[in-house]
Amino acid sequence: MKKLSTKIWGLIVLFLLVTITFMYVLTEYLYEQLYVEDTETTMIEVGEKLLTKYKGGKVTDQFIEEVEEFNTYSNFDVFAVRNPRELSACVPFEIDYDALIGPNERKELLLGNAVTKIGYEERFERQIISVIMPLTDQNRLEGIIYLYYPLAKISELANKDVFMIIGCAIIFSALLGFFVYEGIRHIMRPLNDLQQAVEKMSDGHYETRVTVTSKDEIGKLSEAFNEMAASIEREDEAQKNFLATVSHELRTPISYMKGYSEAILQNFIDGKEKEEAISLIAREANRMERLTNELLELARTSNEQKFELYPIVLAETIRDAISLLEQKSVEKNIEITTSFDEEIIVEGHEEKLKQIFINTIENAIRYSNNDSTISILTKIVKGNAIIEIIDRGIGIPEKDLPHITERFYRVNKARSRSDGGSGLGLSIVDQLVKQHQGSIKIKSELGKGTTVSISIPLMEE
Amino acid sequence: MMKDARLSFMLLFLFFLAGCNEQAFTKINPHQSFVASVNILEPSILFYDGTEEIAKWEFDKAYTGASLIKKDRILLYGHQLDEADLYELSSGRKIQTIKTGIGTTNAYYDEEQEKIYLTNSKTNSIYSYDDQGKMLKELKLRNYPMSMTSYDGKLYVVNYKDTILSVIDMDTFVVEAEWEIEKSSNGIIIIPEEGVAWVGGHGEGSKSNQAIDVYNLQSGELQSEINVSLMPVGFSRNDDTIFVVNHGSNELFAFNLQGDRLWNIEVGANPFVVTTYKNYQVVAGYDDHKLYFIEDQKIQKAIETNQGPFQLLVREVVK
Repeated sequence: MKKLSTKIWGLIVLFLLVTITFMYVLTEYLYEQLYVEDTETTMIEVGEKLLTKYKGGKVTDQFIEEVEEFNTYSNFDVFAVRNPRELSACVPFEIDYDALIGPNERKELLLGNAVTKIGYEERFERQIISVIMPLTDQNRLEGIIYLYYPLAKISELANKDVFMIIGCAIIFSALLGFFVYEGIRHIMRPLNDLQQAVEKMSDGHYETRVTVTSKDEIGKLSEAFNEMAASIEREDEAQKNFLATVSHELRTPISYMKGYSEAILQNFIDGKEKEEAISLIAREANRMERLTNELLELARTSNEQKFELYPIVLAETIRDAISLLEQKSVEKNIEITTSFDEEIIVEGHEEKLKQIFINTIENAIRYSNNDSTISILTKIVKGNAIIEIIDRGIGIPEKDLPHITERFYRVNKARSRSDGGSGLGLSIVDQLVKQHQGSIKIKSELGKGTTVSISIPLMEE
Repeated sequence: MMKDARLSFMLLFLFFLAGCNEQAFTKINPHQSFVASVNILEPSILFYDGTEEIAKWEFDKAYTGASLIKKDRILLYGHQLDEADLYELSSGRKIQTIKTGIGTTNAYYDEEQEKIYLTNSKTNSIYSYDDQGKMLKELKLRNYPMSMTSYDGKLYVVNYKDTILSVIDMDTFVVEAEWEIEKSSNGIIIIPEEGVAWVGGHGEGSKSNQAIDVYNLQSGELQSEINVSLMPVGFSRNDDTIFVVNHGSNELFAFNLQGDRLWNIEVGANPFVVTTYKNYQVVAGYDDHKLYFIEDQKIQKAIETNQGPFQLLVREVVK
């Protein structure tokens, strides 16, 4: 397969050759045109001057001599002819020789007009341009003045120089070809770099970047490549972190369970301690179960890009979610106050929507202090249903807010297991809301509480 | 019924077409004397009485020559035409068409024999016809037979592209003698008083002929040369003067029967033909398409005619 640069180079060189050929032909054509025209005009001028010497009547020997004399000083050949045989005077009779002028030219000359001919003339055995001036008197063609000049081809004129011209053309073409080749190589270098970088990328070297040296299309392509590479690298990093977190999250409860169960088996603990250990094992098992469930849920929502949406009464779905979490709120003696716009109907998937509210309200309960209140209200703003879940809990530091929906992101890393969160809840909410073409905003003030507002598009009328 | 109607319509149309074709020209009164110019660039015959035009016959066929036959007929032929047409002057109508084949160079009518002779450059033959246009005989001659004249039962034919003049016995229609002549000879006149024939010509190659060759009628030998100017090709005579037109130098020469020059004048542009009509010598200028009427060595009148006057026909009716 030919390289792109070779193709472009070939194309340019081809154009170059075509241009040179075209210029050559054009030059020759123009030259011939101008040259012929110029010669013709000069010859007619001279012919007309010579005509003034003719005083009518028979063409005399003196006149012929005078014309011939002029010939010595002229740069083209001139002669006068009075032989009627040469003037096709016998034409109604068949003539068996080649006269200087033909019957048609004779007719034209009889009218007193000059005749110009360009072409091969048998008599002179070459291409000539000739002008014939009539010597007429009382409608008689007494003779003619014949002026001619060899019509040399441009190549014939430049006879000696023709090789030099061809040589120059070849050298010029070669030189131009070389520079064009170098130029294209220079232009194409970033593309080559890019190709090598892509190859490195496919080998797994995500840190590969190219240097952007220009602002042209290739420069933009390089920039886009760098962005893409950074993106891939980030994703790769996130993937690795995710895996590390998952294994870490799973390893801790397993090590608890392993330690306590071994201690129980070997009777290191008993009585009340044993019971506590067993309940701890059970709790950790629950946590693991929930963790794996949520991981499954996350994986499912990630894979499930599209699902069917249908009209859902928003207030009912939220109430369902609240009732499912009633026990947890009761445990912490948290009052949930609601203010719903009963009219709101959104486009949604009931289970997914419920999952959004469960996760969010569960979070609110989890990070609320005992005996506090959680307010949930719904309203319509600009064609969207806005659901606000307001708690008066511990709040989130401002620096953590942008990362709050990332997987396994937890504000307080140390608190991970004591508060029972997996760090996946909000990630799942974020994905589900996006699948509903909605958005999520979190406002929070440390120590005062958090407001999560979820926006879901209303059902279209 | 329908078919019949169509057929009769077609027949009617054909008659109409034939009627159109059979065009009648201006009639020429049989008692009318005329000199007529046969023009070949604009194929036509223009008739003049004295210097007045009396009729103009214009053709759409490329005739290259004509010959007066029996005073009331004109035979028109063309070098590129394969037929010759016979017109009657008194009716102005075409009365006959003779199949000739292409290549007809000249037509000559011998009044004594009442026969028409046509020379042909394709077959290099001469054909004889009776005055009704019926072909009688063919005789092979030399290369390009053209100029013709007759005297005392003999027909003299100049072979234009050859160096031979053929003498034909008109009774037997066989070549009786062959004279050696110049190439490109053209124009012949017999001068019985002197027993000679004058032969003109253009000259060979690019060399222009400047002399009339005088041949002895008996021996066919070149007897003498008469110097003229350039290319004497047209001859005519009256009782004691021979007129020769030089087309190369546009000159008319007058000689006595012995060949002594009497006078000469410049006349016309490229004249090929001269004839005598009444007291005039008439010269046709091919390039300036004019007829010149000369009397007393002076051009009395010049008349514009159609383009390419190449031959002159004369009919003088004695009243």
